[in-house]
Amino acid sequence: MMFRINGKQRSWYEGMTVADLIRDLDDSHHYAVVRINDTHVSRPYFEKTLIPENSEVFLIPLIAGG
Amino acid sequence: MNLEYKMESVKTFYYDRPIIEKGYANQTLFVDISVPDISVKPVDEIMKEVFIGGKGFDLWLLWHAVKSSTKWTDPDNAICISSGPMGGTPLYPGSGKSIVTTISPLTGSVIDSNVGGYFGPYLKFSGFDALEVKGKTEKDIVILIDGIDEKVEILETSGLPNDSYDLSAILTEHFAQGKPRHISVVSTGPGAKNTRMGCLNFTWYDLKRKRARYKQAGRGGIGSVLADKGIKAIVARWDTVKVDTNNPADKNALKTVGRKHSKEIVELDPKQNEMATIGTTHLVTIMNDFDLLPTNNFQYGNHPEAVNVGQEVYRRIFDAGYDGCWTGCTVACSHGVKDFVPLTGPYKGTKVFVDGPEYETIAGCGSNLGIFDPHTIVEMNFYCDAYGLDTISVGTSIAFAMECFEMGLVDETHTRGIHLSFGNRLAALEMVHQMAEGDGFGLIVGQGVRQMKSIFARDYKADPHIMQDIGMEAKGLEFSEYMTKESLAQQGGYGLALKGPQHDEAWLIFLDMVHNFMPTFEQKAEALHWFPMFRTWFGLCGLCKLPWNDIIPEDNKDTPEPAKVMKHVEWYAEYYTAVTGKETTPDGIIRMSEAVYNFQRIFNLKMGFGQRDHDDIPYRAVGPVKPIEYESRHERYDKELVEKHHVDITGMDTEEKSRRLRKFREALYEELKDAVYKRRGWTANGIPTLETVTRLGIDFPDVLELLKAHGVE
Repeated sequence: MMFRINGKQRSWYEGMTVADLIRDLDDSHHYAVVRINDTHVSRPYFEKTLIPENSEVFLIPLIAGG
Repeated sequence: MNLEYKMESVKTFYYDRPIIEKGYANQTLFVDISVPDISVKPVDEIMKEVFIGGKGFDLWLLWHAVKSSTKWTDPDNAICISSGPMGGTPLYPGSGKSIVTTISPLTGSVIDSNVGGYFGPYLKFSGFDALEVKGKTEKDIVILIDGIDEKVEILETSGLPNDSYDLSAILTEHFAQGKPRHISVVSTGPGAKNTRMGCLNFTWYDLKRKRARYKQAGRGGIGSVLADKGIKAIVARWDTVKVDTNNPADKNALKTVGRKHSKEIVELDPKQNEMATIGTTHLVTIMNDFDLLPTNNFQYGNHPEAVNVGQEVYRRIFDAGYDGCWTGCTVACSHGVKDFVPLTGPYKGTKVFVDGPEYETIAGCGSNLGIFDPHTIVEMNFYCDAYGLDTISVGTSIAFAMECFEMGLVDETHTRGIHLSFGNRLAALEMVHQMAEGDGFGLIVGQGVRQMKSIFARDYKADPHIMQDIGMEAKGLEFSEYMTKESLAQQGGYGLALKGPQHDEAWLIFLDMVHNFMPTFEQKAEALHWFPMFRTWFGLCGLCKLPWNDIIPEDNKDTPEPAKVMKHVEWYAEYYTAVTGKETTPDGIIRMSEAVYNFQRIFNLKMGFGQRDHDDIPYRAVGPVKPIEYESRHERYDKELVEKHHVDITGMDTEEKSRRLRKFREALYEELKDAVYKRRGWTANGIPTLETVTRLGIDFPDVLELLKAHGVE
């Protein structure tokens, strides 16, 4: 059971949230937004957003905007 | 389109087109439509050294064109348009920008507005680094700058349509000689004539869709100046553009750095915000999630229906395909809606192509009006463009009027029976149509928030104090669409911006609030120095700001200063050197911007503004005005009072807590001014010091005289 993160395969487990993923990454960068397939998910929703199996996840490094 | 129109030449000026040298034509074009007169002015090395190009050239020309007493309607007021030395480079992303300046109908001082489309590059390749248009005329005219036939022509016209949508299409066809891609049209519409918030539409020809597409120089009412002068349109005609057209100093170096940046965008944009597919619409739900999406005249920062006007919806509505507003741009974010059928107005029931919407329009004409219907926003977008109206000022002005209506400061006797409440889609559209017609309550709304405050107080006896708190304008310009209440840095980003509260100078809200890159007061002041300097530089060079920090290198997070995206800044320094042949560095970029930035601040001073008091912002930009706003975020505000300001709030009602909070927050904003002025090398009154202007090489005699008159010597 896998999903892809920034183009790379990674193991997936039932109930995995975005917050779980960020913790597992051991990446000190303070991500504010990720994209799961076509949907943006912001940090306030990391804890309650599940990552679906076989999904494509992108970590958005910075929101510049404007 | 079958339309009877006439165009008759009244003045023709033939010239020998100069060879472009390292990004410069080395001359500017002057047109006085009153006489009429057409002539050429030289560009000297000092002008290039100090003002670089783009906004810098515009400001220098405008500075000499106007007196301190010049009003926006005076013939002396000039419209200046310039791209910049890198403008017109086809292989570096985002290299087709123009900057437009004039004395603004909204602010009374100098305004600058950046825009895509082909006009700026075509103007330069036709032989002119900048265009300066002065004068006024009774009869409608079109100005043609034809770089292929080496002539500039003023044509009197009659019978042309008023709206920009049809006008640009007709003029493109008229001048194209079978090659519409060779044409770029600058025009506005009837809304510009009847309001102070007219925009300019700049076209680029979309070969795939076989139509003229539009980008807007929206801010500050430049379209109203164009309409007031009697100019229907300015048209540039130029041939195919290649890398050699701009004659860079080092073509190989340019190709190397350009390909690096292009390749990175192609690789990373699909992994990041997909701007090539959905533009800036991704910001809608993100801003909403972080409580930053302006809702109901900036009262609130989120709404449960925001998802209805976010990227997931517009992804399906946008017409798929390449949407670059300049040749070869890989960001390509200028999306549009095909076969849209408006439900109101003169195009009701007709299929049209709509350029947009972008984030600002969605927030301004959507959430901030309590409107969460994506198609109403598209219709607002379409009519604002066709009528020549700035969607940001339109949105923020209608939002203010709606709140005044809901508070009973204005009523249906003033609006002529229109129930102008938040969420009333038809009422919002009706306001836009009335602005175009110069009729009804829309005529008043179209004068902008500052004028409305005066009119409502004078004619309707509305309370001026509450309107001052909720009227979202500063320096006379309407706020663009971000909630600043909880970000001191962005309060400064808006309040200390030279032209008024527009995000293109300093967009710090996310860096401050969400990424927490500037936790200390000094760091906020430092960011309010360097961020505007980077952004200013793009406007000097003919560049779009998006490729700098909207698509980020994957290793950026591991760099010492991720907010600055230094890898890209270094590429930009290489790019500048490759085109102009002048060695520069990231520090050199800051230095270039500082000179022009400080000159613009002094230009404000010349026009009677540019001091500390003029950097004030309405309290709603700083904190909660009404109890209901306080209560919507009471946990945040209570915590701030207790933990940060050590206030015992036991037994305190909301009004008292609001009063206490206001005192602290307003004091903080004043402290921020002090810190930023010091960092920028300004006096405590916000005026550049003698030392600063001397260091930057802008110590011209008339500048020194102006400073002396304000006690700086």
